[in-house]
Amino acid sequence: MIEPHAAGAATLATPPVAAAAAAAPDAPGVEALVDTFIAAHPGGHERLIPLLHLLQERLGHVPFEAQDVVADRLGLTPIQVFSVLSFYHFFTLTPRGRYPLKVCMGTACFVRHATRLIETIQDTLGIDVGDCTPDRLFSLEQVRCLGACGLAPAVMVGQDVHGNLDTKAMRRLITQLRSQGRREAVAAAKETPRG
Amino acid sequence: MASAPVTITAAPLGVGDLARIRAERRPRLEARLASLRPERGVVRDVLVCAGGGCVSCRSTTLAAEFERLIAASGLSDRARVVQVGCMGLCEAAPLVLVAPDGVYYPRVDFSLARRIVTEHLAEDAPIGEAELTHERDGEVRRSRDVPFFARQLKIALRNCGVVDPLSLDDYIALDGYQALAHVLLETTPDAVLDTLKRSGLRGRGGAGFPAGLKWQFVREAAGDEKYIICNGDEGDPGAFMDRSILEGDPHSVIEGMAIAGHVVGARRGYVYVRAEYPLAIERLGHAILEARAAGILGARVLGTEAAFDLEIRIGAGAFVCGEETALIASVEGKRGMPRPRPPFPAQAGLWGRPTLINNVETWANVSPIVLRGAAWFAGIGTARSKGTKVFALAGDVRNTGLVEVPMGISLREIVHDIGGGIRSDQPFKAVQAGGPSGGCVPAEAADVPVDYESLQSLGAVMGSGGLIVLHEGTCMVELTRFFLEFLVDESCGKCPPCRIGLRVMLNLVERITKGLAALEDLDTLMGLARHIQRSSLCGLGQTAPNAVISTLEHFRDEWETHIYDRRCPALQCRALLTYEINEALCNGCTLCAKACTSNAITGELKQLHRIDALLCTHCGACVTACNRGAVVAH
Ligand SMILES: Cc1cc2nc3c(=O)[nH]c(=O)nc-3n(C[C@H](O)[C@H](O)[C@H](O)COP(=O)(O)O)c2cc1C
Ligand code: FES
Repeated sequence: MIEPHAAGAATLATPPVAAAAAAAPDAPGVEALVDTFIAAHPGGHERLIPLLHLLQERLGHVPFEAQDVVADRLGLTPIQVFSVLSFYHFFTLTPRGRYPLKVCMGTACFVRHATRLIETIQDTLGIDVGDCTPDRLFSLEQVRCLGACGLAPAVMVGQDVHGNLDTKAMRRLITQLRSQGRREAVAAAKETPRG
Repeated sequence: MASAPVTITAAPLGVGDLARIRAERRPRLEARLASLRPERGVVRDVLVCAGGGCVSCRSTTLAAEFERLIAASGLSDRARVVQVGCMGLCEAAPLVLVAPDGVYYPRVDFSLARRIVTEHLAEDAPIGEAELTHERDGEVRRSRDVPFFARQLKIALRNCGVVDPLSLDDYIALDGYQALAHVLLETTPDAVLDTLKRSGLRGRGGAGFPAGLKWQFVREAAGDEKYIICNGDEGDPGAFMDRSILEGDPHSVIEGMAIAGHVVGARRGYVYVRAEYPLAIERLGHAILEARAAGILGARVLGTEAAFDLEIRIGAGAFVCGEETALIASVEGKRGMPRPRPPFPAQAGLWGRPTLINNVETWANVSPIVLRGAAWFAGIGTARSKGTKVFALAGDVRNTGLVEVPMGISLREIVHDIGGGIRSDQPFKAVQAGGPSGGCVPAEAADVPVDYESLQSLGAVMGSGGLIVLHEGTCMVELTRFFLEFLVDESCGKCPPCRIGLRVMLNLVERITKGLAALEDLDTLMGLARHIQRSSLCGLGQTAPNAVISTLEHFRDEWETHIYDRRCPALQCRALLTYEINEALCNGCTLCAKACTSNAITGELKQLHRIDALLCTHCGACVTACNRGAVVAH
């Protein structure tokens, strides 16, 4: 049977920012996520990478416990799952921020001074590449070409690409995202009254 | 991301339906290619570029604003808004084309949008001063006549920026799926193969292997389970043509693959797309669903006995997965590690079955060749490189964007005439062609015709077609270090020459950028380069030393200045720079002193600051921190 467009449909369902918001560490069952996917997509080990994409998207990272579930359901050993996961830059073991800042370090962006953007973020947020701010609002990553080379240097936040940035524009973007994050946090707190 | 819920209701199409849709819809599509101004009282299409670059300049919101303004002005029966794929001129994002007048408006904001609606759409009066123009030697050219558009010849990008990528009917209107119908109903696989071979089409993914020959190998390979793969990994940083084709004209890739499926005897195909391209994944996914609903993919393609269907596979951020055997391992759910060839994928590919793998742009060339014939295609280009090539122009060039030109045009024409030259006042230094596997062509050699062999003879490669234009402010040693760092990062680690050798090369180049190198280091570097070229397992390692070899060949003096004089002429290698504060510009804001982690900067608030050269670690943080450009490097 041909199960078309499997990976696409599965990973496109939720935009990552919304997903990151829902990604409490004990978010609704990794097991349920994995089992639903497995039931909808019959097949073999080739489902491993689409499954990792799904988890990365929904949880913001793929922790070891989630890897164990995947290994169990696909009939692999945990180390087999980890060996694949660790090969690909896209998957992370630690959570990304609500606004993952992916700074392009492709050639076009490099020659147009992307390094300065990374330094600006490091200075402004006090985090290194691969880290997340303590409030989990921002994380910093380097990526290799966003395909927006015409707008170099470019930074991707969630699924939005911001182009032609200089250090000032970068600082402005961070400020803007920070207040957006604060607003959304307030709105979310109103929606789910505690106690 | 604009993920509208997909509602696809088309009924399975037959060949008659294709002809009907074409007849009904063609005039509207052709009007989008016209320049019929000033045309009064016509129904207009407002094409808003929704290519990757324009979307990031909020073109989706702009399109919504046009919709709103048109409705509010009561013009709904005279103007329609269409979001199309990349029009090519990313520099002018967001770009809008009003058809059938053929007027381009660059950098459209809401207030210009309002004027376009009230003046151009309502009063039939194009806004001359807002139109895209190009002036040279006192001669002003407008819209389609500006050199950026006029010098191009579009085959692979024929529909990009013209059709709505979410509309199957738009694609059909411009002869879409006619080639597939022809292949299924009117000719034989051998005849198609013959056409492809005579056309001279070579793979656009890098190596330039003749496409017809590869198809023949797969057709002749034994076994009844075969696969087709589209390589949309586009890992070469600086290249975005595959992205634009998938985003702007996904059906052209589907059609090429379906034709190949019939010719080589494969019923199933995969499109491998990078995870960094969510929009491409979304639009291609939509196109696959639409094609399936219309009976173009599935168990009975266009109502015939032929079966063919496609799936998308999403990459996960590994450059080496663009290499065909690594890509296949990745589709199988494994680490994306290449394996030795032979056996080539044509004999033993995906799950050990014969597999035909071609690049996105290669696929997009297939149906025009089938429709218009081998002689037409072979009539374009040079003796050994036929047809056109799409290049991604980026870096320090004025018109960044996507261009498709006949093979054989010179690099200088691409950079100067189409690209509009360097964007700053610095002189043109070189073009980096082919990404990490490629090399730099110096400005003096820019008259080289672009074809596979000529570029190779200069130590660069066609690669996937990324062209990064560099001006004098770029340090070639630092650029080389950047590529080596990239390659060390992306080496899969399977073979020692690539895993260890590249790391040693990087260490050497880093020493040079820090002014710690010895004279013999250049020889060691060259020696290593030759060894790694010869002994690496896959194309990544085999081509990795190109970065070093080509800059050493063309810019040796720059390397030597770093080593002998411990100086970086382009002022990029930080360890070799000294910093100073310009007294005239410093306003004593203390930002630089705060940024300095080694306490090398002193000065009171609102007083001139000074840098202590002995304490300075050359990190450059003060340069970044200063808002007034007062910290200068020597
Ligand atoms: C390290 C490496 C990276 C590659 N990356 C790509 C790529 O991103 N896209 C691509 O189409 N081909 C890439 N290739 C070339 C493929 O291996 C293969 O030759 C190509 O997909 C064949 O298609 P074509 O004949 O249509 O060009 C790469 C090769 C190597 C060695
Ligand atoms: S190099 Fe940064 S988007 Fe391509």
